Parts: sequence; C-alpha cells; structure tokens
Amino acid sequence: MNLKNLTADKLALLYRNRDVTVTEVVRNLFQEIDRTDPDVRAFITLSRDRALEDARKQDTLIAAGEPIEPLTGIPVAIKDNIAVRDLPTTCGSKILQNYVPPYSATAVERLRRAGAIVVGKTNLDEFAMGSSTENSGFFPTRNPHDLTRVPGGSSGGSAASVAAGMAVAALGSDTGGSVRQPASFCGVVGVKPTYGRVSRYGLVAFASSLDQIGVLSKSVRDAAQMLEVISGFDHYDSTSADTSVGKLVAGLEHSMKDIRIGVPKEYFISGMDPEVRAKVEAGIRLFQGLGYNIEQISLPHTEYAIATYYIIANAEASSNLARYDGVRYGFRAEATGLQEMYRKTRQAGLGQEVKRRILLGTYALSAGYYEAYYNKALKVRTLILRDFQKAYETVDLILTPTTPTVAFKIGENVSDPLAMYLNDIFTITCNLSGLPGISIPCGRNSAGLPIGLQLMANHFQEGLLLRAAHQFEKAGGFNI
Amino acid sequence: MKITESDVAYVANLASLEVLDTEKSELAEQLSRILDYVEQLNRLDVSGIQPTSQVVTSERHAVRDDRVAPRTGSSEAGKTVRLFAVPKVITER
Repeated sequence: MNLKNLTADKLALLYRNRDVTVTEVVRNLFQEIDRTDPDVRAFITLSRDRALEDARKQDTLIAAGEPIEPLTGIPVAIKDNIAVRDLPTTCGSKILQNYVPPYSATAVERLRRAGAIVVGKTNLDEFAMGSSTENSGFFPTRNPHDLTRVPGGSSGGSAASVAAGMAVAALGSDTGGSVRQPASFCGVVGVKPTYGRVSRYGLVAFASSLDQIGVLSKSVRDAAQMLEVISGFDHYDSTSADTSVGKLVAGLEHSMKDIRIGVPKEYFISGMDPEVRAKVEAGIRLFQGLGYNIEQISLPHTEYAIATYYIIANAEASSNLARYDGVRYGFRAEATGLQEMYRKTRQAGLGQEVKRRILLGTYALSAGYYEAYYNKALKVRTLILRDFQKAYETVDLILTPTTPTVAFKIGENVSDPLAMYLNDIFTITCNLSGLPGISIPCGRNSAGLPIGLQLMANHFQEGLLLRAAHQFEKAGGFNI
Repeated sequence: MKITESDVAYVANLASLEVLDTEKSELAEQLSRILDYVEQLNRLDVSGIQPTSQVVTSERHAVRDDRVAPRTGSSEAGKTVRLFAVPKVITER
C-alpha cells in the first residue's frame, strides 16, 4: 500500500469497499514513520499503541455495520501546541517537556469523534515562534523534498509529516503564516480559517488575537473535510464564531460565475525569487483560463505589516508566556526564593528566540513606550484591515505568492532574526485582519522544490476560498 | 531606537527573565535592529484612527447564562503528576 499519495477521500473509499482495514493502514503508516522519520524528524511524540487500539475499535465498528464517515480511520498528526489528552504537549519547549494535559483541544475532540486517529504530536518552533522549525527546543525538522532544507514553520512537523506520507492530514496553528508557509515549502495544502472559525480551546496561546488552528493536507478536498469537522462555536472559547461553516465538501463542485480575483501589486516585490514569481504568474493565467476575472488591486499598507505584526504578536506573547514560571506547568528550576525560581526556570526552560520575543513584547508594553509602539501598531492594524475591506468591495478573492522564496537551507537564516521575520511578509496580513487564507501547490522550481500560491477571502468565505482552490488543483495537477 | 545593555537588563527584570552578561550585548544589538525596522510605522499619520486589538467576527457576545457545563474537573486534572502540587513559594524576609 502506498500511503504517500493517499488522500482521506481515497482511503474512505478503500474502507467502504472493505479493501483494507483501519488496523492495516495504521500499521503500514507506522512502518513508514519508522523508515522516514529518523531522517525527517517530524514527530516529537508518537502514539503507536493508542493509535492501534483506536484502529481496532474502528474496525470492530465497521465490521458491525456502522456507517463509515469521511474521517473514519483517517490517521492525523497534531502539532505539539495543541492538547491531546494523555499525550505530552511540549510546544517544542523544554519548559513544557513533561506537561501532559488532562483534556483534549476542541478541534482534536471533534476529529476523534468523527473517527480520525491521532498518530502523534509534531515538531514546531518553540511556542510556534519561527518560520523554519529550527527553533524547536529539541531538534530541527527537515524538508522531505530535500533534507538539507527547512520544512518551514512553525507547523514544520505537521507539513513534513503529511508531505512524507507519515500522516494523511494534520492540524497546525497559524499566527503569522505558520500553516501556509510550511505547506508552501513542503508542497501540501495549508488552510488558515477566519479568526474565530475554529475553537482555540486547547491550543496553547502565543498571540491570542492572531492565533487560529488550521489544516495541512494533500488535497483541498481533505482540507475542506477536516475544516468542516473542526469548525463551529465552542462554549470553551468565547471568541469562537457562531456562524455555520456550511457544507464545505459538498460545495466544492458548485459552479461559479463572475468571480473576481484581485492581485495586489504590493505582493510582487523586487526581492522575490524569479522562479517563484514565474510559477505564481502562471497560476494567475490558469485561473484566467478557468474563467476567473483577474484585476490589479492595491493594498497600500502592506509594507507596514511585518513591523505591526512583530509588535502586536510579541506584546501578546510576553503576556501569555508569563504563565510559564515553574509553579503550575512542567519544568521547575531549584531556587531558594520565589523570584529566583521564576528567573532560573525561565532562563533554563525557554529558548533564545522565545526570550528575545518576550523582551521585545515587554519593551513595547512598558511605561513610556506603550503609546509609541503597541498602540501605534494597533492603529496601523486598523489601516491594514481597511485596505482589505476596501479591496473586497470590488473583488471576491485575493491571490498572492505564499512566500518570497522556496524552502531555504537549514542554518541559512538563524543568525539574523529580522531576515527570518521577513519570510512571513505575504502571510501575516491574513492574521492581522482575521481573514481566511490557503496555500496550494502551483509548481516546482528547477531544483524540484515546491512553490505555493496563496488565496485569501473575506471573513467566513471559506466556501468560496476552497471552491476556487479546488478548481485550481483539479486543473493544475500540481499536488504530490 | 538604540537599546542599551541596561535597557535589556531593565526589561528582562520586568519579564522575570535572567539574561546572562554574555548575552546582553548581542540582545541589545538585535533588539535595536528590530526596533529600527519598526520605526517605519512613524511614517504613517494615525491621528483619529481607532486601534484594533481584536478583529471581532463573532455575533455572539462573551457574556452567557451562568450555567454549569461539564468539563474536566480537578479530580481528573490531579491525575497529572505535580500539576497542582506547588512548592513552598513564600519567602521569609
């Protein structure tokens, strides 16, 4: 059985025809993990025994004639900042190395209820702070397409696990592009829904006004299926939206007329990799061939997005991460007094990038600088949001590259935090404005490395977003 | 914005972080560069613009009826080793 190209809908068909059992698939998958993961290192924790136990349960239900739902027996990987009951949730940080949550995130709970099987927890940049998974407190993950390159980040383990056939789909989290950028680097589909679409209960907070759980998969159809299951209001997250996501999968084949795609001139910058630009421009022509109307648009405040993001995200992070003080969670350093214990615990438990961001965030919130940095950034966020509101008066979707380059070499950007931050230039506006976005493969460069194209839609327009992405995928055939 | 080593020490103290003397100059340099980059926001006139701290997409308000809903209780949580077991944290003066 070749799991590498197997999508959830194909697997569901195999189950329905009784061609394979869930146990066979899960066993096969762990063999693939044993073969591949020593090189790729996508997983922090594997859940072999429980996955096999869950598989046997599903097989018993199927044998008893229970209906086979779209996610029945589908092996999924979960980013290690999303809680899965009784498995460690480390966030890629030494400070949470031994933390085992007594509950599951709502998104995980909904996947399991739909029959999906959790195979393990995937690597990430510590507390999701990074764009390469090199900032993991444990080890870096490698790109399955070229082991000398990064898989992107921060959901690098999730993206790599799906690309390498070690999971059929995965959950990630996206605060500034952490689902879409690694999807682009690994040649898979990555969708970040509208802020509030998916409950954040059980997602460890990094920047609460920007964080959103997203899906990585091999096809747009699988992304739609996963999203349909995990979306919806949740009493445990008061920012979750009480707006029905609708039938995303059934809606994929609906025909569309007169859809306008805006191409913002600010997203085709001079420093861009020419091969990336060429493939994205070919993608625009493909949409044109499918009958979409392409329009040039302007999002004039784009150039301010990174500065705005790094103030807001780090300010929120400095507050959220104050809870890791050695008292309630995980690691605790030996000390004689309280203040000393806080300091020593955080010194030993938190990595360099996390400390840098906490310092920056604390600085931006400190007396005398709050107005100049934090409040200013919040006002510029309003201007960025207005750019999009204005654009969506005349277009239905916005198309951009997902990243300015293909996957870079391991170590290439580590010494320069600012260069690493610039990687998120095309993805962070979605988070600042709460908009849904998707990265879909649109070809490869001359070295065979995947290139991604990003589509964005207005709030709660995931149906339209996924439908257009699905049509593109069918016509282009770029997926692995 | 030039961040000095004493700025780093001041902010580290606010954040309960211990910064080693050997790290201070590099951190000061990196934070200065990031803040220099952020300075570009000053080119924008934001007078009269309301800040956006959260893009509100939910129709439902945070306030709900005060009803008890099932959730993981403390007896469950207590199974996790040391989760609520804290050391003596009061320091005598």
